[in-house]
Amino acid sequence: MRRRAQKLAILLMCLISWWAVGLASADETCNSPYVTRLITGQEDYVYVWALGVEGVGDGFDKLVTIDVNPKSKSYGKVLGSVAVGVRNEAHHMGFTDDRRFIWAGGLAESKIWVFDIATDPAKPKLVKTIANLGDKTGYLGPHTYYALPGRMLVQALSNTKDKGGVTGMAVYNNKGDFIASYPMPTDNGGDGYGYDLAVNPKRNVMLTSSFTGYNNYMRPLGDLVKDAEAMKNFGGTMVAWDLKAMKPKKIFSVPGAPLEIRWSLNAGDNWAVTAAALTSKIWLIKPDAKGEWQAKEVATIGDPAKIPLPVDISIARNGKGLWVNTFMDGTTRYFDLSNPEAPKETYSKVTGKQVNMISQSWDGKRVYITSSLLANWDKGGADNEQFLRGFSWDGKELKQVFEVDFTKEQLGRAHHMKLGSKSLRSS
Amino acid sequence: MRLAAALLVLLAAAGTARAHEAAPLPALGFEPPPPGTYTLHRIMAAPDGEVVGVDGRPQRLSHFTREGITLLGFVYTSCADPEGCPLAYRVFDVLRQSLGERPDLRAQVRLVTLSFDPARDTPTVMRRYAGSRVQDEGRGVRWYFLTTRSARELLPLLDGFGQDVRSVVDRSHGQPKRELSHVLKVFLIDSAGFVREIYTSTFLHPRTVLNDIETLRRE
Repeated sequence: MRRRAQKLAILLMCLISWWAVGLASADETCNSPYVTRLITGQEDYVYVWALGVEGVGDGFDKLVTIDVNPKSKSYGKVLGSVAVGVRNEAHHMGFTDDRRFIWAGGLAESKIWVFDIATDPAKPKLVKTIANLGDKTGYLGPHTYYALPGRMLVQALSNTKDKGGVTGMAVYNNKGDFIASYPMPTDNGGDGYGYDLAVNPKRNVMLTSSFTGYNNYMRPLGDLVKDAEAMKNFGGTMVAWDLKAMKPKKIFSVPGAPLEIRWSLNAGDNWAVTAAALTSKIWLIKPDAKGEWQAKEVATIGDPAKIPLPVDISIARNGKGLWVNTFMDGTTRYFDLSNPEAPKETYSKVTGKQVNMISQSWDGKRVYITSSLLANWDKGGADNEQFLRGFSWDGKELKQVFEVDFTKEQLGRAHHMKLGSKSLRSS
Repeated sequence: MRLAAALLVLLAAAGTARAHEAAPLPALGFEPPPPGTYTLHRIMAAPDGEVVGVDGRPQRLSHFTREGITLLGFVYTSCADPEGCPLAYRVFDVLRQSLGERPDLRAQVRLVTLSFDPARDTPTVMRRYAGSRVQDEGRGVRWYFLTTRSARELLPLLDGFGQDVRSVVDRSHGQPKRELSHVLKVFLIDSAGFVREIYTSTFLHPRTVLNDIETLRRE
């Protein structure tokens, strides 16, 4: 255990020579199973939740709509954006169960913005701001927005008291009224940290992962990695919950900040994967022969000594493949997941100087990539590319088919993505 | 003309009967938490509005969602999606039998099936859809089959419950057919009129619902 801690510390110190790190989640195969109207054909839009940058455009966080239908005259172009009037470290977003609204939040405070995407999917409209998360729960930095029937489950990253990593989840109804909160467990081996969550309702299981608190994620990375004490404050656990009761059932040790969680959507499968950012490992969470949930390391992503920093994953709808974006080396990797006990990297390509989120269409033929991790963790100078890039994937080669330069377009830093369609217009 | 109308009624009735005669309910893929070991929070107030029963008499929906525990599901009678309305009907049917064997619960729980297709689901059609399950003068579990007189009366209820419905045209079988695209949602409502659980197809099972009813009863 001590040796593992030393190894981890060495790996973390290697980060000093880089200027970045990141996190994220997206795409059509990662939505909550309660989200209706999956886009199984050609998507029309990619919505990008972008961080405002001082001096770039209006400088505010904004939801940007981009036309991604190749048959459209404005293919690959920005259709519009809706700014929220503040710069608040825009990060992630999620659909309500009826897919009529997107909830999006920032990590600098506890505000949540609700956008109507059903009245006109080409022109999202800001319809509500929820500002009571901190007061109601003491949580800070809403991160994951996961639809439950008629409700939204929000996973936070931090807390308002000490701005550390101990945090919890909150549930709102779809109208934006607060219902309840659930702290992340701090007993039985729990570190109290949170990051992503994902459910398998057929087994009544919810999994959560863990990252770090405001004190770390808002701090310039160059300073952070020199602070050995601060670097200890990263999550190293996952939790299996009784979804119905919303109670923790089992806590797993998963060192190195396990981030995005993806359940296999293949009928009959009962397992999920995650990637630990700091240790560059893929973990499998699956019941053993006795039905007991277990987490085990099953693959390595790149060379962990070089800290590639896996920041987002996207699973194929049949559970047979996994895209992994590694921020530091700007590389997009594909793992064959035919045997989830032993994923194998079968393809890799440098897709940017820094890459964070990766989303794929339902059929897997189109892949979208964005660039920003966190405002203070993105790279500097010429390496600070900010983009949405669209790729085609034929099973052998990723080919870039368009790019939107977010700096040139005065939009800021491109982070989380969600797919949209004209067919989702409310009738 | 009269004969044609009678035939149509018979065909519709046959369709309804087929919808009810379905495979056994799928097994629940997990052991649900025991009653009383978890909390069902107040999700939202159940909306109110005007509805009509199988007798065609208008009533407030709150008449059917207060003072007692209510399980309410939206359906449309021509729905053929096996994970949609027919599933709700089968689960309600099993619950009706289970609750009927529980004298302690029978009088405290009611079932409500509310159509979101007022154009086709008239009180007469709803009566036919209900068959012998329609409210039986207090001898068994109360099961009410309701509809509305217009989309104007229906929409506030759909909006209030958050039941998303879209009208789509199905051309997969040659002749265009209007369908109502929706996701099954069933609402558990407490005696004060608050929605305490919303079931979709994965959690809609007699075992989970009975546990939730028991959990509410123990409050």
